[in-house]
This record gives sequence, structure tokens and C-alpha cells, in this order.
Amino acid sequence: MNIDHIKKEFPIFDEKIQNNDLVYLDSANSSQKPKIVVDRINEFYTKQFSNVGRSVHYLAVAATNLYENTRTSMQRYINAKDKNEIVFTKGATEALNLVANTLGQNYLKEGDEVLITELEHHSNYVPWHFLRKSKNIKINFAEINEVGEVTLEEIEKKITPKTKIISITHLSNVTGAILPVKEITDMAHSKGIIVVVDGCQGAPHLKLDMQDLDCDFYAISCHKMYGPTGLGVLYGKKKWLEELPPYQGGGGMINEVKKDRITYGDLPNKYEAGTMATAQVIAFDQSIKFLESIGIENIMKHEAELIEYGQELLQKNNSVKLLGNPKNKGGVLSFILEGVHPHDIATILDEDGVAIRAGHHCCQILHDKLDIPASARASVGVYNTKEDLDQLNDSINNCKKIFNLK
Amino acid sequence: MNLKELYQEIILEHGKNPRNLRKTENFNKDAKGNNPLCGDNVHVYLKLNGQKIVEDISFEGSGCAISMASASIMTDLIKGKNEHEAKEIVEDFLGMIKENPELKSENLKEDEKTKLMCLSGVKQYPMRVKCATLSWHTLVSAFDNKREEIKTEN
Ligand SMILES: Cc1ncc(COP(=O)(O)O)c(C=O)c1O
Repeated sequence: MNIDHIKKEFPIFDEKIQNNDLVYLDSANSSQKPKIVVDRINEFYTKQFSNVGRSVHYLAVAATNLYENTRTSMQRYINAKDKNEIVFTKGATEALNLVANTLGQNYLKEGDEVLITELEHHSNYVPWHFLRKSKNIKINFAEINEVGEVTLEEIEKKITPKTKIISITHLSNVTGAILPVKEITDMAHSKGIIVVVDGCQGAPHLKLDMQDLDCDFYAISCHKMYGPTGLGVLYGKKKWLEELPPYQGGGGMINEVKKDRITYGDLPNKYEAGTMATAQVIAFDQSIKFLESIGIENIMKHEAELIEYGQELLQKNNSVKLLGNPKNKGGVLSFILEGVHPHDIATILDEDGVAIRAGHHCCQILHDKLDIPASARASVGVYNTKEDLDQLNDSINNCKKIFNLK
Repeated sequence: MNLKELYQEIILEHGKNPRNLRKTENFNKDAKGNNPLCGDNVHVYLKLNGQKIVEDISFEGSGCAISMASASIMTDLIKGKNEHEAKEIVEDFLGMIKENPELKSENLKEDEKTKLMCLSGVKQYPMRVKCATLSWHTLVSAFDNKREEIKTEN
């Protein structure tokens, strides 16, 4: 795996950002895009554009085929059993809202419980909170341990006879903890509990195999997988997607519409109401091919080395305190600097071209638990190098200098 | 852009040792503000006397060096001013942070203006403007006894 070559595939790294080379350490927020993805959007709009699934003219049929090709690629990429288990959404947020909303309509009853964790992103909490308001369900939280992970034992401990759904992140976007999703799913299924996974951070960093993982739903954000914004994927087991009601109503998702009755379309149309993010879906096929051409095993190895290197570097830097030290960790290095607020860190790092994120990263529950208002987060992707992390460390030292820290 | 302009000594000093970071006893006006994007929050307390003069002003909260320094400097300047003067100073400050090259208020002495101008480096950092303005918006809200929390998004 040659990082120089990989980096060259991303045009943004040819740009000077305020006169600096870009050290992009914000991929957990959104990854940069390879040229093939950007070009594909342009090519589709300039040479092949049509809406999909409606008209019978040549362009419409060709565009529909391209659109469906991405579904097939995604099925292959995550090893889903059936192509129709792949639903396109506007993002992981919409995917999780779809799951919570439809399970709320048909499956959950007053008093039922949903178990989530303290690691969850707001998009895997707020949709369940809606049901807490509308359906009077209860939400329980599995707690993190001292290294910032949620264990199988902790999940099991929080299950009650009323637990109907477990909804958990695959990889924490703050502590980097990788949850034992397969084991949790096995245990949950033995008790008849549905498992929903927020796979936003899992999908770009881990090998995915839906048939092996066996979870019932898996939400993916394409813009974190070197793909376009405005696009997500919901994987759902066929039996659930067939059984649950539609999420949004409109064109494309219907079978027959009469004044007194409406029947809905089959999968996957049932969940893809209205004109979809056509160009993004078609371009996303190139992101999948990009990931496949490098190989997820190689990406995992490269990123594991980066995280280990970065972790050691930051641990040696006094005043830096890393958030969480899970045994299984991927993708992110979150930290605080004693005496400097994360926003000040981010502004000072930015001056050196180092792009990180500061804030609560949509995880306020977790930050409350850690008793800090915010943190700084450096996150990696295929294009990052150890030199990027050296620069991160140097820029952190510059922060310390400005703030007169030792 | 210039980090030295943003993080001037006086800002770092106020950020580290904010003045009036406490809760006024017997306050008669207060308001909360928060910055949902970054989790900064501030609670401003006012004690006005019969003539609507600020007898005491204080704040509680947490945030970056810019927001703490801004709240600290604000509370120092506002103490002793009446409501009308205070609001005029807020207007002037917000105008300066947005676009005006300097402060115009007749309610500020020259050395007070100099102190406040230390925050002008923020202008070059659009993402940080709300850090500097949160406590000021919250102050107005406290005067007006608004019950709603100030959010910098609005
Ligand atoms: C763990 C996690 N869940 C959910 C989301 C939301 O994803 P999207 O931006 O695709 O809606 C994100 C991204 O910010 C995330 O990191």
C-alpha cells in the first residue's frame, strides 16, 4: 500500500490551505473525495443525466441501471444476502430515523425499552427520544468503562424483560472503541431482541460482513467512506424491511394509488420515496471500487499503525490527555489539553493547516459522563501518514507555547 | 490571519483568570446562553439598583479562552453603568466585532476601549465570532429578563 500514490488520487491535497499543505485529520467527520468520485458526478451530469426508475427513454434506462449497479456493489461490499436489503437514504441520520420511526409504528408498545449506550451519536439517540415522547417507551443506557468502551457484559446487564431493541455504535466517534457487535447480536437474538447498528464509523474502517455480523439493521454514511454527501445506506434484513411500514410517502414507493386505498411498492422502492440522490448514488460506486482496489484489510492495517503511532506520540506529550484507551480501537484520537479549550486548540492547529474537530462531536451524553464540555479530535483515513501525526504533535506544542504551558 | 492578534496576552490572562466568575448574591436579573455547536455556556447575573445602575455583575460558565476573556472584560466594563449605557456599549461592541474598525461609544473611556479592542482579532476568524459575542447577547437578555436561553445559532 503506497500512501503517496493514494494521496495523489485526492485532488484536495494539491491545494494550499491558507498557504499550508493540508494535514487533514477530520475524516471521522467527513472524508475527502478521490478524483474518480468527483469526476463521476461531473460525467453523469454532463453526459448521462436522467432521473431513474420512471421514464422508458434511453437515458432513463441507462441511469437506472447505473443506480442499481451501486446497490449491487454495496451488497457485495457489506456481504448482504440480498440486493434489496440495501436502501439508499440521505445519510446515516435518515437511516436511523427510518428504523426508529418504522419500528415505533409497528413494533414497539408503551413501556417497551430500547437499550443504547453512552457512546452514541445524537443521531442514534434523538430518533429514539421521539418515541419516548410519542410512544412512552423507555431508553436505557449501557455505560462506558474506565477505558471508554462498552462491553458485552455491560450490555447484558442492562437488558430487562422489556428490552425490545438494542441500538449501538460499531465504532465510537469519540473514544474509538470498537464494540463486539457480533457477540452482542448473538446474545440479543437469543433473547428475541432486535439489534440496530450505527455503522457510520465502522463502515470506513472495518471489514463488514452483514451475514456474519447478523445484526438486523446497519446504518452507513457514504460521505465518510470517500463518497458524496447527501447519501447514506440502510442495510436491513429482508424480513424486517418487508414487514415494517414505509417511512415516507410519495412517488416511486407505491404500487397502486386509488381514492380509497393505496398499496406500496416492493423492496427496495418501498423505502426510496421521491427523486433520490441519483448522481451521488452513481458516483458512490466509484468509492466502493476505490476501497476495494486498496483492500479493507490493508486499510485496517495502515490505520491501526497510525492510531498506535499517534497514541504513543500524544501519550508522551505531557499536558495531553487522551480520551479512552480501549483494547479495540480504530480511527480516532480524541484528547484534551490541560488549560487550553478544544476550540482554541483547533484554531491554533488550523493556522498550520492541521484540520481537526473540536466540540462534543454530537456526543453530549458521553462528554457529560467524562465531565468535560468538549474535546479535540484527530481522526485518520487512508491518505494519512505518520508525518501528519508528527505535524499534529508539533502544532499541539505550538498551542502549549502560546498558552505558556510546560 | 494572525494568531498573535487573536491570542493577545490580555486575552490569555483574562481567559486564565476571569474576573467576576462567580454568582452575584441577591441578583435581580439573570439569563443563560449557550453555544450548541461547541457546548460553551454562560450564565450572567445582574444586580441593578433603583436607578437601574449595575451594582454588580458576574457570570458562571465554561468555554474557550476567547469566550471567557470576552465575558470577563465585559463584566469589568459594565459594572457601574446604567442599563441604557450598558446596552449602548453592547451595540458598539457587536458592531465592532462584525464590521466597524473601531469603537464609537461615548460611554467607554479610552483605556476601556483599548481593552475591548483586544478582542478585535476575532474578526478574522468567523467561526470564533460567536465565542466572543455569546456573553454580550446573554447580558442583553438578562436586562430584558428573557426567559429563553440565548443560542448563538440565532
Ligand atoms: C457515529 C455517527 N453516527 C451518525 C452520524 C451521522 O451521519 P450522517 O452525517 O450520514 O447523517 C455520524 C456522523 O457525523 C457519526 O459519526
